[in-house]
Amino acid sequence: MSARAAGVLAAFRHVDDASHAIRTLKEMGYRDFTVYTPVPNHEIAAAVGHRISPVRRWTLAGGLTGLSLGFLMTLWMSLDYPIVVGGKPIPSVIPYIVIAFELTILCGALATLTGLVVHIVRTRKTAAYDPRFTDDQIGVFVPCDTDRTGAVQELLQTSGAEEVRVEA
Amino acid sequence: MATSVQPDAPPAPHGHPTYHEVTRDIAATLGNPGRGYFVLMGFVLLVLGAGVFALLYQIRWGLGVAGYTPPVMWGVYITTFVFWVGIAHSGTLISAILYLFRSAWRTAVYRTAEAMTVFAVMTAGLFPLIHVGRLWYAYWLIPYPNQRGLWVNFKSPLVWDVFAVSTYFTVSTLFLILGLVPDVAAIRDKAVGWRKKLYRLTSLGWRGTDQQWRHYTKAYLYMAALATPLVLSVHSVVSWDFAMGIVPGWHATIFAPYFVAGAIYSGVAMVVTLIVPIRKVFRLERYVTAVHFENLAKLLLLTGSIVGYSYVTEYFIAWYSGNPFERASFWNRAFGNYWWATWTMLLCNGALPLLLWFKKVRRSIPALFVLSLFVNLGMWFERYVVIVTSLSHEYEPYAMGHYTASWVDLTILAGSFAWFFMWFLLFAKNFPTVSITEVKEIIPMPRRKGAHA
Amino acid sequence: MNRRRFLKVLGVTGGGAAAMGGCSTERVEKLIPYLVPVEDQIPGIATFYASTCRECPAGCGVHVRVREGRAVKVEGNPDHPINAGRLCARGQTALQGTYNPDRLRGPMARTASGGFEAISWDDALARVTERLAGVSPDGLWFVTGDERGTLHELVREWLGAFGSHNHLVFEPFAYEALRRAGADVFGVGAVPTYRLGEAQYVLSFGADFLETWVSPVDQTRAFARAHGYHDGRMGRYVHVEPRMSMTAMNADEWIAPTPGTEAIVALTLAHVVANHHADRAPADAGSLKALLAQYEPEATAARTGVSAETIHRLAEEFTAAPSVALPGGIGTQHADAHITAMAVHLLNYLAGNVGRTVVFGQDDAGVADYAAAARFAEAAGSGAVGVLFVHGANPVYATPAGLGMADAVAKVPFKVSFSRFLDETTVLADLILPDHDPMEQWNDFAARDGVWSLQQPVMEPVFDTRQTGDVLIDIARRAGGTAASRFALGAATSDLYKTYLQGRWRARQRGLGDRGPFEDFWHAAVQRGGAWTETTPRAVRLARGLSIGTPSQSTPKGQFTLIVYPSISLFDGRGANRPWLQELPDPVTKVTWSSWLEIHPETAEGLGIAEGDFVEVTSDAGSVEVPVYPHPGIRPDVVAMPFGQGHTGYGRYAEGRGASAYQLLGQDPTAFGGVATYTVVSLKPTGRHEPLAKTEGKNRQLGRGIAQAATLTGLAAGVVEHGPEEAAAPVPEREERVLAEVAERQQELTKYGPYAFETTRWGMAVDLSKCTGCGACVAACSAENNVPFVGADQVRHGREMQWIRIERYFEGGEAGKPLETRFVPMMCQQCGNAPCEPVCPVFAAYHTADGLNGQAYNRCVGTRYCSNNCPYKVRYFNWYDMSTPNDPKTFAWPEPMNWLLNPDVTVRSKGVMEKCTFCVQRIRGAQHEARLADRKLADGDVVTACQQTCPADAIVFGNTTDPASRVVALAGDQRGYGVLDGLNTRPSVTYLMKVRNVAEG
Repeated sequence: MSARAAGVLAAFRHVDDASHAIRTLKEMGYRDFTVYTPVPNHEIAAAVGHRISPVRRWTLAGGLTGLSLGFLMTLWMSLDYPIVVGGKPIPSVIPYIVIAFELTILCGALATLTGLVVHIVRTRKTAAYDPRFTDDQIGVFVPCDTDRTGAVQELLQTSGAEEVRVEA
Repeated sequence: MATSVQPDAPPAPHGHPTYHEVTRDIAATLGNPGRGYFVLMGFVLLVLGAGVFALLYQIRWGLGVAGYTPPVMWGVYITTFVFWVGIAHSGTLISAILYLFRSAWRTAVYRTAEAMTVFAVMTAGLFPLIHVGRLWYAYWLIPYPNQRGLWVNFKSPLVWDVFAVSTYFTVSTLFLILGLVPDVAAIRDKAVGWRKKLYRLTSLGWRGTDQQWRHYTKAYLYMAALATPLVLSVHSVVSWDFAMGIVPGWHATIFAPYFVAGAIYSGVAMVVTLIVPIRKVFRLERYVTAVHFENLAKLLLLTGSIVGYSYVTEYFIAWYSGNPFERASFWNRAFGNYWWATWTMLLCNGALPLLLWFKKVRRSIPALFVLSLFVNLGMWFERYVVIVTSLSHEYEPYAMGHYTASWVDLTILAGSFAWFFMWFLLFAKNFPTVSITEVKEIIPMPRRKGAHA
Repeated sequence: MNRRRFLKVLGVTGGGAAAMGGCSTERVEKLIPYLVPVEDQIPGIATFYASTCRECPAGCGVHVRVREGRAVKVEGNPDHPINAGRLCARGQTALQGTYNPDRLRGPMARTASGGFEAISWDDALARVTERLAGVSPDGLWFVTGDERGTLHELVREWLGAFGSHNHLVFEPFAYEALRRAGADVFGVGAVPTYRLGEAQYVLSFGADFLETWVSPVDQTRAFARAHGYHDGRMGRYVHVEPRMSMTAMNADEWIAPTPGTEAIVALTLAHVVANHHADRAPADAGSLKALLAQYEPEATAARTGVSAETIHRLAEEFTAAPSVALPGGIGTQHADAHITAMAVHLLNYLAGNVGRTVVFGQDDAGVADYAAAARFAEAAGSGAVGVLFVHGANPVYATPAGLGMADAVAKVPFKVSFSRFLDETTVLADLILPDHDPMEQWNDFAARDGVWSLQQPVMEPVFDTRQTGDVLIDIARRAGGTAASRFALGAATSDLYKTYLQGRWRARQRGLGDRGPFEDFWHAAVQRGGAWTETTPRAVRLARGLSIGTPSQSTPKGQFTLIVYPSISLFDGRGANRPWLQELPDPVTKVTWSSWLEIHPETAEGLGIAEGDFVEVTSDAGSVEVPVYPHPGIRPDVVAMPFGQGHTGYGRYAEGRGASAYQLLGQDPTAFGGVATYTVVSLKPTGRHEPLAKTEGKNRQLGRGIAQAATLTGLAAGVVEHGPEEAAAPVPEREERVLAEVAERQQELTKYGPYAFETTRWGMAVDLSKCTGCGACVAACSAENNVPFVGADQVRHGREMQWIRIERYFEGGEAGKPLETRFVPMMCQQCGNAPCEPVCPVFAAYHTADGLNGQAYNRCVGTRYCSNNCPYKVRYFNWYDMSTPNDPKTFAWPEPMNWLLNPDVTVRSKGVMEKCTFCVQRIRGAQHEARLADRKLADGDVVTACQQTCPADAIVFGNTTDPASRVVALAGDQRGYGVLDGLNTRPSVTYLMKVRNVAEG
């Protein structure tokens, strides 16, 4: 989704104001707005109402891959180069569990991060931004055409934004 | 994270600092260092140089320049390897396990712990290389397709080590970076000059949008979930280097839990050792408080007791097993040539931590600091005792011997500390040693109409 | 020929070509080896030449293994009557003399400044001839070592040609006491041969007959055969000496009398035998009763400290079975040693052993006693010696310092040395004409009656040396006149000495009644290693008017008796420049590279000193500083020190190590004309301390059953001592199955297929009732497997590399209990469930198809985990680079020492683990041969280096899956056990318990 420059950017100090504003926005049928918070927050998340992140699927897939990779590699390699040590069977699964386990974790972790990056990259680009949003303010950016900015601006102000800016 | 931490978690005693204050105070710890910093860094680099020289000297002439005395084929190097791997454990414990346990106090200390973890693994990872006879062939331990058509021996605990330690290094590094991103973004928005460039780069375009947080929080949760068993596994694997051997004093089932407890024990001690000066120098008294230290102290007390219990069990089983070799080995530990090492270990790890039963001690930062130093010392000696003493008194009486470290061993040991602190110093001045975001998280966001339902 | 083999051959033939072309280390190697193929040289295939070992006067026969023109290994000659294929440690290291970097590389003359300059042989010989012209016959002296044989005769004749008879045969260990006693008792001034193999009972009065005495290899063979346990029977051996030597450690009973009273003990015994057990005594023995009357056991007990009961018991035992009594050795050669020897002769005579187990031959030709050496010193000192030739002797080192041999020799105007090394005598020389090494020369040696051993050059000389025989003849010819005419040798112009030698052998051929053409006889002899024949024992009777002197030896109170004894590895000191011998642990103390003083632990405690503390040992003659080694096997009033160290010359490996015992010995010849090796000393701690460079960790086995033993009676009753309490864990069935599968699979993988055994598991059996602890196997292993020496400092760090070691454990010795010693040769046990294998991350340690613990050196990364996990501690790590000259500090093979490296064995590099391989190169070699011959391997086709040389035949090697093999038979023995088998390592080495033939169960 391409970023849209034009829109209204509001900065809130209070979380309840922000979440209220978000809810009203949704009631008014806005979907593609962006909320900036310095820290993740329940109320905001609830207000925005996302579905649960798909990153977990990546973790599962990665983990399973690692597990099977671990066993396949160890078994294949010991059969490919069959050498007897200490009178133990050439493919002995028990010690290979260790390798499989480590690879499960490794692949799982790598997959999780890949998933994270992939999904974040996929999310909407946002043009309007203010440094305060990583400090102590909650930002809400509503992209909209100039003819409707007035309404949005009005709504955001009434719901208690400290500052509302029209980005064009 | 926020998924877990409730806003009504224990508040900072002197009333909440505002979000803005948090950003300001922590950002203040960064920026251009003063003279003291450079003096310290200079010293560290000097010691590191000495260590590097010793290593090159050893590579030129051979391992003979180290103190090895057969049958003691492993000495200070493996001791130090295990020591650093152990240190590395509390980091992930605090950041991952305590995270899953929803304990809020971790937020103030976990960043330091995580950084410590990464650097400790970086240090530990050097020692298996330093200790092998042909360092230039160490890569043969990696299973890569080669013209010899030869794969590695997956039955060897040393190969398990290769996998465990490298996995641990990768995961804990990623975990650290993951946690840093929002903080770096926050600092980016404060910084100026070249640092701004640096942070703009390293914050990976973080802005804290609802979407970003949505995926981020989940990813962090799963990373923690993966890291938790990893912590427990890595030191178990390291302990199996010994437990899989038939050496009396090594070949025991207690080793995995015993070593894991010991690892966390030493790690937490190291965290205390690091946090105390940081708190002073960076004036973070407001964020890292007696509460945090008391919690750390409790952690020390818990793991310390497990370790102490393990010591007792070891000796009891040695006697109870009736195995003459085990008995001899443990008798030799306590009263043989290395009695001094053993008793240092018992005193530092077994006896002293009992002081932590007293609240006074737990809440006194100087006391804790001194104690943590003793624990570090004691834990190093624990590994020394387990490795050297056991090897010096094995099965063949005619082939028993006595090992003493040479100047090369000790210089490289010192160098390893320099290496660790070099990285830590670099980190402390360029990245927040206390997590901005997470500290904010435990502070309820300001609201207009009082507390919400 | 596979690629590897081809390369291996190519690699070494370059040097080989050079060697064939008459070598010197500087010679450029040919890039195209064997362009002109050399006769009887197949690249990669060893050639064996028969010769004679000249490391000591025992004269064992050897086979020298030559690869591409270089001698690489010395082994016993199986056909030789003296050693029957076995060798001692000294023989095994002979090549370190041949390839010694300190060998003199050509003739040298003293310069005005006092140094030496290299000169040409012509020049050198001219100078000698010139000097000879000027010297009076009486002023011409020739000192040689014991050269019984043609060289001896040549020297006599040569001297004669110049009108001189001053030939001094100087041998430090000349057994004067024994020869004097022989002369006094039987009128035969010779060293008799003792047939230990035929004696069920051996009673030694201090003879170290398993170490250096007379002919140790021969005696060890015989002793092990007669005394070693087999099918419920074994001999009994009692040793009487104040110090427990290695030989004494092999005794069933050790009796330590008051030092110096061995003579009285022997006489007392003779008394009892004469009076109570004389039934087998010859008729004329009756006269002895009167002679021995005064030696009542009850009377002498107080003085000797040996109770009358003991004496009576010994007397009974001694006469009960075929027995032999041995006189004192060099280590017990005190003022009364000749009386001991006489008493022993009488004992043997009374017991009817003379002619049975004690056999006299001809009088030894002219080995001089020490008194003669003293007379020479006097003559030289007084300026009566004008020209002196020295060959094969080092009198300056090997005589008591008080004698002033150095000054005396220095006074001689012109001194010529033929020595190969710059030893203490040679540094004083004016001219040095270095002789060939025994490996490079024609010669012979008559070690005993009826045995003439030949030496032949097995390779081109390493340096620009010349055979002394050739040189002497050349000189005589240059001198002209009668001398020249004497050595016309049918106008031979080359191989002068060889021609002379063959002349002698023509006579010998006739003497042996061989009428065939000489060439045939000669070639046969050279191939065989000499010629030998049965000799009839010489019948001896008691001499008329036999009288016995009164023993006078005694030690003043508060002082100690010092016993100076020959070192099994350094002998009289001539072994000191062989690094392998220097690093060979002494069997008693396990100390290497230095001197020590053996002292009783209690005495040491009394003096407030511990192991490694230095004491100043002072006698009338002088004093030395040596570290002490507390030895439970020595009387509290006795201290002991070996000969051999403290060289001031003799090359880098010998110089400045420890102290020379000759500093302490009195210079006055004893009544029998020898050096007294007992002397009274006082001890003063110096406060200096240095850890001894010893290979021993603990000297007690902490009840771990490493070295197990049983008593003869106990064994008969099935009572055997047990190992550690921990019982052997049962092997899981699954594991058994896996092992079987594994063996099969690997067998298929091997190329040896039907030529090897179908399924092979190599194994070894070591009979501890035979092993004497001499250490020959250790030296042999080093020589076969290119095992480097590491030097004293590294030994202090426990970093010695010997793949096989002799562990020495003490048992008992506490109040009342007799002190007992056990030796265990410990090498890689080649475990079935080897703990070392699974822990190696890179498969450098793995299991081979034929059940060996393989070790791929080039794959080793050096984690040393395998060594930690080896319960037997038989893996050795290369702490430094001993294989490249880049590391001068640690380089073990300085040119030309590297020539003795075995081309079949890898030279290990820095940072890798190495260990005993059961001589895998020999196994593969035998398998290749079997395949070439298209036959199966037979039991005994593969012989490991240690087994090959073991003089006691204590080691047997073979395939444990072949029910017919010797090793299987032995492994099934009632005495068989595996070391630490409670660990379920399933070792391939079976040890057979030592058996002690003692009264108490």
